[in-house]
Amino acid sequence: MEGNNSPAVQAVNNLAVRHKFHWGEAVPWILAILVFYFLPGYRLLATQILVMIIFALSLDLIVGYAGIISLGHTAFFGTGAYITALLATNNFPDPIFGLFAAAAGAALLGFLSGWVLLRTTGLTLLVLTMAVTIMLLELANDFDEITGGFDGINFTNSEILGLIELDQLWYSSSYIYVLVVLFLSFLLIRTIIYAPFGRMLIGIRENTRRMSAIGTPVHQRQVIAYVISAAIAGIAGALWVQVQGNVTTEVYAFELSGDVLIMLILGGTGRLYGAFLGATVFKILESVTEQILGTDQPYWQLTVGLVLILTVLFARRGLFGIFEDLSNRWKGRGQ
Amino acid sequence: MEGTRPMSNAVLETRNLSKNFGALTVTQNVNFSLKPGARHAIIGPNGAGKTTLINLLTGVLRPSGGAVLLGGNDITTMSEHERVKHGIARTFQINTLFMGLSVIDNLYLVLAERLGGGTEMFRPAGRDIGVQEEALRILETLKLEENALTMIRELPYGQQRLVELAIALALDPKVLLLDEPAAGVPSAESHIILDAVENLPEDIAVLIIEHDMDVVFRFAKRISVLVRGAIMAEGEPEEIAANTEVQAVYLGETNHV
Repeated sequence: MEGNNSPAVQAVNNLAVRHKFHWGEAVPWILAILVFYFLPGYRLLATQILVMIIFALSLDLIVGYAGIISLGHTAFFGTGAYITALLATNNFPDPIFGLFAAAAGAALLGFLSGWVLLRTTGLTLLVLTMAVTIMLLELANDFDEITGGFDGINFTNSEILGLIELDQLWYSSSYIYVLVVLFLSFLLIRTIIYAPFGRMLIGIRENTRRMSAIGTPVHQRQVIAYVISAAIAGIAGALWVQVQGNVTTEVYAFELSGDVLIMLILGGTGRLYGAFLGATVFKILESVTEQILGTDQPYWQLTVGLVLILTVLFARRGLFGIFEDLSNRWKGRGQ
Repeated sequence: MEGTRPMSNAVLETRNLSKNFGALTVTQNVNFSLKPGARHAIIGPNGAGKTTLINLLTGVLRPSGGAVLLGGNDITTMSEHERVKHGIARTFQINTLFMGLSVIDNLYLVLAERLGGGTEMFRPAGRDIGVQEEALRILETLKLEENALTMIRELPYGQQRLVELAIALALDPKVLLLDEPAAGVPSAESHIILDAVENLPEDIAVLIIEHDMDVVFRFAKRISVLVRGAIMAEGEPEEIAANTEVQAVYLGETNHV
């Protein structure tokens, strides 16, 4: 084609290839496999981290991409968790079935609440998302004959596909199971954000006003994104209780909504791998703090507070933003 | 008997369009029509209700009375995004762009939405040849090729105004509403915008709101004067220039500024 070097042609060509995988994207998966083989003593922590990555990824879709701020994402996490647990105690112990049911239930809740909530924005939206979660927590406490209340309910899963038992002692099959679900959830979200629908979400984040003026039904798109995010958060909640064989009302804890948002901000919003980095650093910090300073709540909360302040002051785009800057500088030097 | 007269060949038409905010009337019984390919300007002093009128035409605001018709069909209750799909595009007086995205990405969003891919979740964006060709064509029309990869917030304001126009053109509109296209552009750059406005495709009906009389008289074939929400006079540029009433109100007010 004539004028192949013009910025315009180059720009159009970039559009067509930017969804392709970069070799660096293999790193987290290689690390995950190395952890499995070389740090077997940390598999429980690592499994929890993997689940939190799924949860943070689901939040990134709405917070980082669609610009919908939420402090109530545990509403979906908790709903997924309870659906799975209650199915397991009522003759449906198949874990995969549990995941799909959790996703469907959380998606339904996402649709019903999102349809109403997403008519608001900013602080109002933030408070409403919080209210939904707190309401669900209260309901779970009130109906403790069903939910088991604070003591929770124990349940056992059947084998995955009738073959593999989720082992709760060494977390070997559990770890792989969660890793596979994380990989599939990640692929789904990655595909969505590089497809036109995902690009539109970025547009909504950047300028809602203009999106309406280019013919996009903004509310409808936001609700769809919210439903997908809710479904994946529901899967995260289901995994969380499946690997433990136990569910308590803590899955609806408002603090967890805050934690997952902090993980995302810490790692970096709107950049997929921010969720990986944020959840990992957060959970490791939590574990280290507890080992050094004890499990008294104030120490950990103080640490989280400090880390968050440092992130906001010095790394507005999160840890992954720092990583991007460093890699750009390194590339610049190479030329 | 506006409602019963035979259908005109107007693309966009208003009938007794009115808007009140409480006791404040900002639009009063506005009747006007745009023919295909029209070059129509609305002028008026500050606070005359020009931007409100655009918001009524685009569906951002719902009128308190009257109707808006597009190609003879009543679109008064149609939402903003549906009107865009039916061919009404606008630019904003103050840049309303995707500041954190490149020029090409701004255009991409518009084209993907228009060409029906807005809800596609699985096929990667940007592979569509139709979208690519259309993006190139618009970049070329507005001479934005060199800046295709530049982020909007790094562009000079005049170039950003061009992207406003590019986005509107990418919607392939029947009617284009320009809300002060050259507003805020340094005079050294304003000719770029004006050239672009003059070279708009002839089949698009263009309604321009403008303060700058040079622009209006250079561009418009027909002018409406809006004062306190009502149309005070309408006619060819020469008629409007010669209208003593218009001179009194319009020039009188501007002299105070």
